[in-house]
Amino acid sequence: MSTNLDTTNLKTDEMIINMGPQHPATHGVLRLILKLDGEIVRHVEPVIGHLHRAQEWQGQNRTLFQYQALIDRVDYLSGMFTSLAFAHACEQIDGCQIPPRAQYLRALVCEMNRISSHLLWLGTFLIDLGALFGFPFYPFREREKLLDLFEEIAGQRMMFNYIRIGGVQRDPKQSWFEKVRKFTAEFPDRINEYEAIVTQNPIVLKRTKGVGILDKSVAMDYGVTGPSIRGSGINYDLRKTRPYGIYPELNFEIPLGQNQGDTWDRYMCRILEMRQSNNLINQCLDKMPEGEILGKKQIAGLRIKAGEGFAAIESPRGVLGCYVISNGSDKAYRIRWRNPSFCNLAVLPSLLIGRPISDIMAIFGSIDVILPDVDR
Amino acid sequence: MSNLITRAKDSIYQVLRGLKTVAVHSLRIPTTKEYPDTMPPLPPHFRGRLALNVNPETNEHLCISCRQCERVCPDKCIEITAHKSPETNKLELIDFKIDHGLCMFCGLCTEVCPTDCIINTNDFEMADYSREALVYDIRKLTLTQGESSHYFAAKEIALPKPKPTKPAVTVTPATSTVKPAEAKTESKPAEVKTESKPEEAKTESKPAEVKTESKPAEAKTESKPEEAKTESKPEEAKTESKPEEVKTEAKLEETDIKSTDNDIK
Amino acid sequence: MLANSAELFKFTRLTLIWLTIIFGSVWGACFVVGVLIPTLLLHLGENEIFALLAQICQYLTPVIAILVFIPINAMFMVLVERRGLALFTVRMGPNRVGPDGLLQTAADAVKLLFKEDIIPTGADAWLFTLAPIIFFAPSIFGSIPLLAAITGNNDLFAITNLPTGIFFIIAASSVPVVGIVMGGWASNNKYSLVGGLRSAAQAISYEIPLVLSLVTICYLNQSLNVVEIASRQTGGFLNWNIFGGGALNGLDKYFNALINGSSNANDILQAYYPSNQWILTVIAIAGLVVSTIIAFFMYITAACAEVNRIPFDLPEAESELVSGYNTEYSGIKFAIFFLAEFTNLFIVSSIATIMFLGAGNNPIPQFLIDYLFKNVTFIPQTINAITQALSPLINQIHLINPITFWSVVWMIVKTYSLVFFAVLVRGTLPRFKIDQLMDFGWKRLIPLSLLVFFIVIFAKGVINTNV
Ligand code: SF4
Ligand code: SF4
Repeated sequence: MSTNLDTTNLKTDEMIINMGPQHPATHGVLRLILKLDGEIVRHVEPVIGHLHRAQEWQGQNRTLFQYQALIDRVDYLSGMFTSLAFAHACEQIDGCQIPPRAQYLRALVCEMNRISSHLLWLGTFLIDLGALFGFPFYPFREREKLLDLFEEIAGQRMMFNYIRIGGVQRDPKQSWFEKVRKFTAEFPDRINEYEAIVTQNPIVLKRTKGVGILDKSVAMDYGVTGPSIRGSGINYDLRKTRPYGIYPELNFEIPLGQNQGDTWDRYMCRILEMRQSNNLINQCLDKMPEGEILGKKQIAGLRIKAGEGFAAIESPRGVLGCYVISNGSDKAYRIRWRNPSFCNLAVLPSLLIGRPISDIMAIFGSIDVILPDVDR
Repeated sequence: MSNLITRAKDSIYQVLRGLKTVAVHSLRIPTTKEYPDTMPPLPPHFRGRLALNVNPETNEHLCISCRQCERVCPDKCIEITAHKSPETNKLELIDFKIDHGLCMFCGLCTEVCPTDCIINTNDFEMADYSREALVYDIRKLTLTQGESSHYFAAKEIALPKPKPTKPAVTVTPATSTVKPAEAKTESKPAEVKTESKPEEAKTESKPAEVKTESKPAEAKTESKPEEAKTESKPEEAKTESKPEEVKTEAKLEETDIKSTDNDIK
Repeated sequence: MLANSAELFKFTRLTLIWLTIIFGSVWGACFVVGVLIPTLLLHLGENEIFALLAQICQYLTPVIAILVFIPINAMFMVLVERRGLALFTVRMGPNRVGPDGLLQTAADAVKLLFKEDIIPTGADAWLFTLAPIIFFAPSIFGSIPLLAAITGNNDLFAITNLPTGIFFIIAASSVPVVGIVMGGWASNNKYSLVGGLRSAAQAISYEIPLVLSLVTICYLNQSLNVVEIASRQTGGFLNWNIFGGGALNGLDKYFNALINGSSNANDILQAYYPSNQWILTVIAIAGLVVSTIIAFFMYITAACAEVNRIPFDLPEAESELVSGYNTEYSGIKFAIFFLAEFTNLFIVSSIATIMFLGAGNNPIPQFLIDYLFKNVTFIPQTINAITQALSPLINQIHLINPITFWSVVWMIVKTYSLVFFAVLVRGTLPRFKIDQLMDFGWKRLIPLSLLVFFIVIFAKGVINTNV
């Protein structure tokens, strides 16, 4: 509710605040240079690059086999997706066959990873809204279970190195599948609990409804992807619009934002996506075929044919693209990442101008940017 | 007005619903794992500290010094010292260093190893006071027979075939089977296990070290070259040791490691 | 269902141990200063100076009690909050220091005291140092009048029985905001400054509904004296101020008569609620009860805002302002801020208890107890016997006073229930935005509190004319 008071005569100095890089709520090391008029943001300038690790350069100076172990770090909350994008690009060049079981396993772990990434987002989003002490522990509890499952098949909790060029690295045991089933069985209840606490909470509604409205045209101009654009009502999900892997065989729907694309819509989109992913996991488990898991032998001198390839997949944050040029040696000639967070972050200033400080975190949290993904 | 009241009623109901959901959680069993008291159950393929296997049956070192792991490591944190034995013309491992401060536990080295020698153990408690202490040498890396067989079973790796021809100069020559075993057991504390701290290991291994008078700590820091044994370079020590002096050989090895430690410094 | 009974049991045990520690030490201090030293002094001789000293000692007792109580209580409350939040978030909470983490906050306090005290460059050193003191001091002198009500007007604390007690408390409780603004400004940090300004705005807007809801109760009880307000709520929860401030007195008496089989039950009802114009009376009473209940929740809300608790903790909103006004504070100054915050929470809870929840009075109506334990004669007998046996101690040495004892026990139970509720709220709700906070304060709470106030005035008038 904005006031209609004429404040022109009360104009005071604008205050410049450096939010970050060590601010508790900038999800890593984003720096925002804010010009504040009282509590109202007049100008925003995101400063990025604090987490730059030269991921592309590293890819050009490591063998493909070595680089596979590094790409989980591009977006450390959804390592499976970065691996998958890279693997897809390389497979496109090489033309190697991926066994169906590997395809299903890939989809399975990716959807699990999507849930775990969204769960982390949910927790931190509520922290950004101010529920610092209670709620965030619940999604993190479920994420912990997923990470334990990842630990069992991939060896580590976040740096998986599981999806490889030509397939996946390890065939899980039957007991693992049962654990996944157990998780999916109880997960919808957990989401219901989150929703009972958050979704209709009057304070949450007040802080998110009508806040940070992302216009369709603005979103398309900036190249926003993922749940952020689907919250604005644009049906753009690569799993449907440009299906890859085994997604054509799976039965799912893309949740879209119902209103004008505000923070609450983006929140709702992710919640529904988690339910959807849970569903997909179950389908993958049901359809899981037997057979090989690796279409290409994993050796130190892993080579792919010469050529270039681009693969884009739908990561929890949006369209994650990987472009690889190979000259036939064991190193890629050029690697280029198209990171969803980078494009999503670009839209931030246009959403923040004219909003109070408190909205910065709500909006920034809702577009789900993670900084390693921005800086690479 | 009535709109206001319904909204207020609705808000209060939603807040109470949230409060109830949170309050009911206090009846659930906590998910906290009280870590130092109870170890988390780690899956066998967990990628923890690196270690070198021995053959669970014959207790011979599995590494064939092929340097595959050294080459594949993205961080270049493995350093293998090997030399060609003049007699058998075969590569022979002298030292194997892994800088765990540099390692990112990607597990690539374990994937390429042809003999399943280097593996990721389930140990993750490697905190130490200095960076140097994170550089593990062969003695700290090599697992005991029992641990090796445990990991072979847990990771479901096929047991290795015993080496077809035994090199003449290794610690386990055809001379006698009893003595090397003795030497091994004596040096066992030095092979740092998950529980024992490096300092302890050092002090325990002291009795085995008859010739060196200096305390372990001193040996680390200064290790005077007065003692001819400590002075000797690894290669020399290896080559000059005669098969009949198995015991001294074992001692030698320890002093070698001291001196190499010193070299790193 | 009660899968977590082990943790719940530990939590309860910990709470009980800490409460024993707190009240044991407070009682000990009071006994020494208020009873032991004066007695010894008087025994030394009939000297005038000794008599004066003894008197001064007795006067000092409330201050000593508060000075002992506040730090220990704050430690306990921090522990309760951490363990309580752990319970709500399926964790275990601090359980390493001491048995079950009993000493965790004591260790934290020691740590804070030994930390380096940093005054940032460019900060106004004087104001920077003064701010925590100004923030903390009101919670000491503001809580003094409460002591009389908490202890059931014990002789030693009779001095704190101010005729305008609640007025004094409210006046004192509006001082801390000066400390916050001061600290925020003096820190030479923009986040602190914004935090301080927010706090000022918030305190001003929430003081009004807070005071109005308390004034409602004062009006109902025709008194500003907390002891009197407390004493008017004796005899079961129907007499509490939250239920109409005495509007249900008659009901209480009626039930009493009914249960005891007394024949004049209907007469009592008639006397309290005359049947001519009974529709008007019923409406008035219902309005009164609903209004006071609303006033209670309004008080709780406004008090949350006063003491900067979630969902109104904007002055120190972590995700926006790093830590708000205390961003730059460290060491003992931060400890004082922390201490004051929790003490303020305790004080507002105890005000709520005294003003709305019947102070130190037994919530179960006396006649119900009598009726239920009619046949169990040995309990009152034993209690009587114990009281008899201890009477010399009670009367001459003032060792322990059963009235004070029970009053304190009920106060503890009620106040800490409210504190625990605040912990639960903290575990659930996110925080408001500053403009919404202002909206909520000015556009919702203040009109509502005025409305409640007027309803109460009219309803009371209707009842008074009818009786
Ligand atoms: S785990 Fe990876 S980083 Fe560590 S030594 Fe092996 S290859 Fe190198
Ligand atoms: S790859 Fe295995 S066998 Fe080869 S050097 Fe490394 S550890 Fe030894």
